Amino acid sequence: MEGMAGQKSSLAWAVNIAAFLLVVLWTIPTLGLFVSSFRDRDQITASGWWQSFTGSEQTGFVRSGTADDQVQQEGLYVIEGNALEGSQTLRAWGIRAREPAAFQPGETAEMDGGIQLTVEEDGTYRMTSPTPFEMTRGERIFTTTVSPPSFTTENYNRVIGATGLGRAFMNTFTVTIPATVIPILIAAFAAYALAWMQFPGRALLTAAVVGLLVVPLQVALIPLLRLHNELGIGKGYLGIWLAHTGFGLPLAVYLLRNYMVGLPREIIESARVDGATEFQIFRRIILPLSFPALASFAIFQFLWVWNDLLVATVFLGNTREQLVMTGLLRELMGSRGGEWEILATSAFISIAVPLVVFFAMQKYLVRGLLAGSVKGG
Amino acid sequence: MRITFFTTVAAMALAAGSAQAQLVIEPGSDDRINWQSLDEFAAAHPEIEGQSFNILGPWLGGDQELFQSVIAYFNDATGATANYSGSDSFEQQIVIDAEAGSPPDVAVFPQPGLAADLAERGHLRPLGAETAYWLRENYAAGESWEALGTYAGQDGTDELFAFPYKADVKSLVWFVPENFEDAGYEVPTTYEDLKALTEQIAEDGETPWCIGLGSGGATGWPATDWVEDLMLRTASPEDYDRWTTNEMPFNDPVVVNAIEEFGWFAKNPDFVAGGTGGVTSTDFRESPAGLFASPPACYMHRQASFIPTFFPEGTVVGEDADFFYMPAPESGDLGQPVLGGGTMFAVMSDNPAAMAFIEFLKTPFAHEIWMAQQGFVTPHSGANLEAYDDPVVRRMGEILLEATVFRFDGSDLMPGAIGAGAFWTGMIDFVGGAEAQAVADQIQATWSSLN
Amino acid sequence: MELFWLATSTIFIGVFGCVAWFWGSNWVLDRILPPRGPKSGDNIRRANQIRPWLFLGPAILFLSMYLVYPVIDSLWRSLHNANGSRFVGTANYQWLAGDAKFRESMVNNMLWLLVVPALATVFGLLAAQLTDRLKWGSIGKSLIFMPMAISFVGAGVIWRFIYEYRAAGETQIGLLNYIVTQLGGQPQLWLTLPGWNSFLLMIVLVWIQTGFAMVILSAALRGIPEETIEAAILDGASPLQVFFKIKVPQIMGTIAVVWTTITIVVLKVFDIVFVMTNGQWGTQVLANYMYDWSFRANDTGRGSAIAIVLMILVTPIMIWNIYNARKEVR
Repeated sequence: MEGMAGQKSSLAWAVNIAAFLLVVLWTIPTLGLFVSSFRDRDQITASGWWQSFTGSEQTGFVRSGTADDQVQQEGLYVIEGNALEGSQTLRAWGIRAREPAAFQPGETAEMDGGIQLTVEEDGTYRMTSPTPFEMTRGERIFTTTVSPPSFTTENYNRVIGATGLGRAFMNTFTVTIPATVIPILIAAFAAYALAWMQFPGRALLTAAVVGLLVVPLQVALIPLLRLHNELGIGKGYLGIWLAHTGFGLPLAVYLLRNYMVGLPREIIESARVDGATEFQIFRRIILPLSFPALASFAIFQFLWVWNDLLVATVFLGNTREQLVMTGLLRELMGSRGGEWEILATSAFISIAVPLVVFFAMQKYLVRGLLAGSVKGG
Repeated sequence: MRITFFTTVAAMALAAGSAQAQLVIEPGSDDRINWQSLDEFAAAHPEIEGQSFNILGPWLGGDQELFQSVIAYFNDATGATANYSGSDSFEQQIVIDAEAGSPPDVAVFPQPGLAADLAERGHLRPLGAETAYWLRENYAAGESWEALGTYAGQDGTDELFAFPYKADVKSLVWFVPENFEDAGYEVPTTYEDLKALTEQIAEDGETPWCIGLGSGGATGWPATDWVEDLMLRTASPEDYDRWTTNEMPFNDPVVVNAIEEFGWFAKNPDFVAGGTGGVTSTDFRESPAGLFASPPACYMHRQASFIPTFFPEGTVVGEDADFFYMPAPESGDLGQPVLGGGTMFAVMSDNPAAMAFIEFLKTPFAHEIWMAQQGFVTPHSGANLEAYDDPVVRRMGEILLEATVFRFDGSDLMPGAIGAGAFWTGMIDFVGGAEAQAVADQIQATWSSLN
Repeated sequence: MELFWLATSTIFIGVFGCVAWFWGSNWVLDRILPPRGPKSGDNIRRANQIRPWLFLGPAILFLSMYLVYPVIDSLWRSLHNANGSRFVGTANYQWLAGDAKFRESMVNNMLWLLVVPALATVFGLLAAQLTDRLKWGSIGKSLIFMPMAISFVGAGVIWRFIYEYRAAGETQIGLLNYIVTQLGGQPQLWLTLPGWNSFLLMIVLVWIQTGFAMVILSAALRGIPEETIEAAILDGASPLQVFFKIKVPQIMGTIAVVWTTITIVVLKVFDIVFVMTNGQWGTQVLANYMYDWSFRANDTGRGSAIAIVLMILVTPIMIWNIYNARKEVR
């Protein structure tokens, strides 16, 4: 027995390590997005997100003071200031774009017209000239600096502070909850009929459901919106619930039917013998036993509706009052969608609710499974 | 009696409050803006008071806010209510909505090709000969603009269906003036100079151009702008027109020559930052960053007037970065061609307020109020140039007004399968190593197969 | 607050309406054909013929309205010209047969079908089994599940941070190129490498779909009776043997379901390709090609023809499911 325990613990280690590796592998891409959501756009394009935890070396430029800032000292015209900001340290500096690191801190550069520029290690610079400065735009001082890791919550402020976010949030919930619950209800009944009731054409109908899984959403948009307009449903919540129900139904029926088919025949047969009606069997036996499948489909349908933009813009519209979260976030990203930092942040804000749902549902997954495991006993 | 009085006052106060909040410039306060034209317009259209209508367009974010600021004045002056909503999948949504029978009252088309398509299917309302005449008279290079909005309707007759408002100038080369100064480069004034400068920068051991064709689902489009600009500099405007309608086949030597010309810039690893591989994969939004790197990754970047949005934060256009007109060949035979784009307004319902909105867009006010903010260029010769808030934008506006030849983005004029498909992919193949002739043959084959 | 009540009441009405239908229609049926009294046997038999259709009714209504109708519409459009105004017979299909891009899409779709369902199912099973009895298993599961919760556009950005290319010598901001250059290699333009690029796009879908497979399979794994496993362990089976010889056969049905579902997701794969390459550099797939023709080229004829081909591809899976359904009924 003891040998087995030892074997077991080394196995447990192997499992732990393997699982850990898998989880890490799966998390790295998202982690990148998460870290990027705390960086500003220039940082995102300047260095890899994994380098943001260590001090990073950057080359850029600052502008010196202008003629307005000059003072006269010992017969020279002088402009002074500091080229560093925050807790940066200076590695090198320069006065030309092509040689941005030509000088070491403390060295002096000779510029045209007898102008001299010195930049010290602490970033203070002193530019002197025998004749008065005339520029209205400061000279460029190129700096190679090392900055400590820096993160910003500015992106989150921007997204959370966006006008209409609360409204969009409510809209999304108004769309999502019925669009998740209704297809599950409808599909559960249909799945039960397909799995346990006797009627002609059952296998064909099951196969048809599989076939309908593959219908690409894009081909359905125009005929369906036309149908809605002709039926007088138009654009609105009713329309989008119906649409999401229709599009989610094949997967729901397929998953639930396959789960229900696997439920133990004896329980259902014995209930029938006891004189229970089909409706009672469904409500008292099938539904509780199918909880894990219902919960897992609920998660998928919820996610799909939550992240959907296409169906929402087509069937709900996209004026201010109708906007859903994805639509609002898309709007924040601007016409040309170049703002990766907002995208990263949005992705994380919109991911929060589905994750909460997943955690909440996980409890039910387990509970349902405990009920399901009775079947073996 | 008293109660009604109070509620009326409250309602008026509320209405005044919300209206005031939306009007970004106090009416009558800024004398660069032609307020009178707004008042006259409102006086001429008393019938639309209380009407409301929807506008669907591609603008989101900043542009959306700016356009909404323009609408606010329209609503305020006329008592009508225009609601704008933007969509990033506008092209798709407008087709779905129109075909399904629930179109918006007014649609803002980013490309004429799509508008032409919907006009042919009978979804757009003709704007009338008077508006067509107005465009010819009041827009610089007015006939080019009129042609842009003129399509065959359902019955096959050509009519004006779309009104251009808000233009984009594409023939711009962006650079950092101080980098030019440091290196002693001059802004080229002829196309030949531009090529000479390119060679010189390369000889100096530097990289002249940043070109980025990446754009997610639309990867390749920046190359089509390049080819169009070069087409206008190597061939006549008439050839350009024939090319966009496929009267001149895509694999005609004239077109192949323009593609080769683009290859001269983009396929020479010494001329482009990141080598030719970098060209196809760099995102167009990140491409200009090379200008601002130190040491500079490149010295020039050809892109339309919207690109400063993607410059590093804090960049002051006009000082830290600037642009010059993509120059024309020295000989002068081809004039001063300008490649541009623009958004087209079309009416899709019988709502009278929608048609009145087009009339509103003819007023100098509708242009000046946006000019006085940012990001708006117009060919309207009646609009006050002083109204441009930003001197840089004003220079773009002047390029547009001075253009002897104005041509619209050709890829937008071609059928979607070409202009937003085969042309994009063809250019990626071309930069990736394919021969210009082979690519052009392939694109022409796709075009010929269209039914 | 007003909106909140509106939302709550509409949710309530929507859900309640559904429940009312199922409950009410069953009640009516039982009243008309009461399962007791003199003719109870006859009544029960007749009620049992009708009841399946009461259960199936709403589903059939929705499926025919929201999916069958568009399919018929597409079929009709695929036989017409670009704007649906003229009947062109099979011209669109003939064009497809000769189109090089279409062949490329078909080949790529086949590759996707071979690779993605297999990898996603295997990784999903592995994740489900490995995290099954771990203390931190539920956190691990949530992390593997997370990609499912991210929109495709978000996923596109995430993987850009992996595949991004910068010229040699510059700071790489793509993780893959960073690793390659750190190991002394040359940075690659991953998404433009023929052959490789399709595979790199597939990885993204595997990454997303593994969470789906894991959730379903882990439910199935837990459904296996403890006694069966304990008996096998007492018989001296090694953990690997238990896994392959006891657990996997027990959940074969669920594995098939997961495989089928992912296969269908793969057939429809669109967003990833659209966001990351738009089908360029030889990565075109059918759904994206259909989108190109339907919404970029505004040629609903060709777009619909591609959609019909896509739907025909699912036939083998349908047949296999009919076969399985018959077997289950026996």
